[in-house]
Amino acid sequence: MYDNFDFGQILPIIAPILTIQLVLVIIALVMCIKAEQTRGPKWMWVLIILFVNLIGPITFFIFGRRNER
Amino acid sequence: MTTLLEVKGLTKTFGAVQAVGGIDFSIHVGRCVALLGPNGAGKTTTIRMIAGLLSQTAGTMRFHGFVKGDYGKGKVHIGYLPQSPSFYNWMSGLEYAVYAGRLCGLPAGTALKRAKELLERVGLSGAAKRRIGSYSGGMKQRLGLAQALVHSPKLLIMDEPVSALDPIGRREVLGLLQELKEETTVLFSTHALHDAEELCDDVIIIRKGQIALQGNIAAIRNEHRKPIIELQLEQDEVSIKWFTDYKDRLSRWSDEAQEASFIQNIEQQGAAVRFTVREVDSARQHLLEVLTREKVKVSRLEIGHTSLEDLFMKVVAP
Amino acid sequence: MTSSFTRLLVMVQKELLELVRSLKLLWVPLVFVLLGVMQPASMYYMPLILEKAGNITEGAVIEIPQPLGSEVLAQTLQQFGTLGLLVLVLVGMSSVSGERNSGAASLILVKPIAVFSFTASKWTALLLLAWGSLSAGYLASWYYTGLLFGDVQASKVLGSLLVFGLWLSFAMTLTLFFSTLLRSSAAAAFSTLGTAAALSLLAGLLPKKLGWLPGSLSSFAYQTAVSDIANVSLFGWALACTFTLMAAALTGASWLLRRSSAID
Repeated sequence: MYDNFDFGQILPIIAPILTIQLVLVIIALVMCIKAEQTRGPKWMWVLIILFVNLIGPITFFIFGRRNER
Repeated sequence: MTTLLEVKGLTKTFGAVQAVGGIDFSIHVGRCVALLGPNGAGKTTTIRMIAGLLSQTAGTMRFHGFVKGDYGKGKVHIGYLPQSPSFYNWMSGLEYAVYAGRLCGLPAGTALKRAKELLERVGLSGAAKRRIGSYSGGMKQRLGLAQALVHSPKLLIMDEPVSALDPIGRREVLGLLQELKEETTVLFSTHALHDAEELCDDVIIIRKGQIALQGNIAAIRNEHRKPIIELQLEQDEVSIKWFTDYKDRLSRWSDEAQEASFIQNIEQQGAAVRFTVREVDSARQHLLEVLTREKVKVSRLEIGHTSLEDLFMKVVAP
Repeated sequence: MTSSFTRLLVMVQKELLELVRSLKLLWVPLVFVLLGVMQPASMYYMPLILEKAGNITEGAVIEIPQPLGSEVLAQTLQQFGTLGLLVLVLVGMSSVSGERNSGAASLILVKPIAVFSFTASKWTALLLLAWGSLSAGYLASWYYTGLLFGDVQASKVLGSLLVFGLWLSFAMTLTLFFSTLLRSSAAAAFSTLGTAAALSLLAGLLPKKLGWLPGSLSSFAYQTAVSDIANVSLFGWALACTFTLMAAALTGASWLLRRSSAID
């Protein structure tokens, strides 16, 4: 079943996953840059969002912003 | 005059601490009343009980015909502004004012109309569509006024409305209150006598959770106005000795003594001595004679009256 | 329409607007979709990944039976029950305590509104977020499972979605309750997750004796996805217990707020 495995086959399945991850990263980045105040330095959050896969943006959404209420 | 709010024996205890200890007062329709007192006197606690945010330990309140059980229903007629109001920073000023109006039962259209009117009134029209998060302290206080007034309440209650503001914000808000008090009954707390004198008809001075003095501010001023003679003495030996002796003798005076008929009280503030007198002419005559006889070096002698400030300091002194 | 109901609607609208403005209504469902897609995808490629990663000697054959589509969906629900639940609880943890700590709540509660409306509006928003995210994620997972493993009956999907949604709703109600009870958001999240874990554990350890606890709802959801609920009467009890507890938590939260709203 996996013998004739190639990336052309795997791509349609992986692509949406990558796209959603990318969207999350972009939303988080935009929010981070626009935020008046972040909990901790902004550049740190940018690095976390960019390099910690999936968990990075989520952590930012939940803990990153301050003074939003 | 109709009574809008009547408070009887209002008491609040937090654990073993009594914040407010049985106060009585009433507020008449159309008056502007200041709840005056030093920090920690129980002003905020009283205000919060009247606003319905805190339930009293004892005592009753009657507001606009609503008593204990349905006091909550009276909330429709109350506008409340806390000391430093917080809003939802993600909303715009207009959205918040509309939201406040709708929570007070206004239909959507009316709420929007009233919110716009009031924002105009408090000078926030230009910033109405901006996020509240970007507002300054003075702007937030003015938005607080707008949202408290959006449903045209019968009573506006404010807790230290200008204390947290810088001089400019303070002027803005005081000016607004000056206009607003013509339209509705106002009760606000403050620790600054100056603010109370500037705005109010009536004052309730509280101290350690008790009412120390209350009434019409002009009446209080006249009633407690006493003539005073202030002396400034040079700090030489003779003068100091004379004053010490004189004060000493004064404290031992019986009521029959001659001076007691016109001098009521004597107090020292640094190099200045202040005589509270019953009768200015005899007291002045007497003092001048004594001073000349004893060769006291006077650098200044002044006749005046006690101010409200003096009274306030005396009343709230610990 | 009574005026207190209108006010409740206005407050719900405000909560929804906040969900939209804070982009929570976008990113939380996206996370669920991601979780829902990754589960079937990773299960599908698992044998391949093992083969590539491990230095397996030539000729060794890994025999991993291909799971059924319904089993994949049940596994997806498990993901939602751990990571998904964690995200939802963390999002909801400061819904009441945040407004109380900032003082925004006292400015609202001084208005002529019922305290219950305040609690109920927050509850509605949290539930909407939970159901929306769960539905989006589960449907995505269903689609992928269909592509990779074969079709699963729609009725099974819908049934398990409803049962699992109830479990999430219960967890959201707990979050709201603890967010009202405790001033610290972290403590509220911790208490909620602790309670949810304890309930699941108890129901899992003693399914016969304690199967009526809300904690058994997730396993009832897996059963619905794979086959059918074995013990229907126990499921009925679990439903009754969950609804009762949710009503109690909501009432309790309003009561707590009414008593303590002024101590800001």
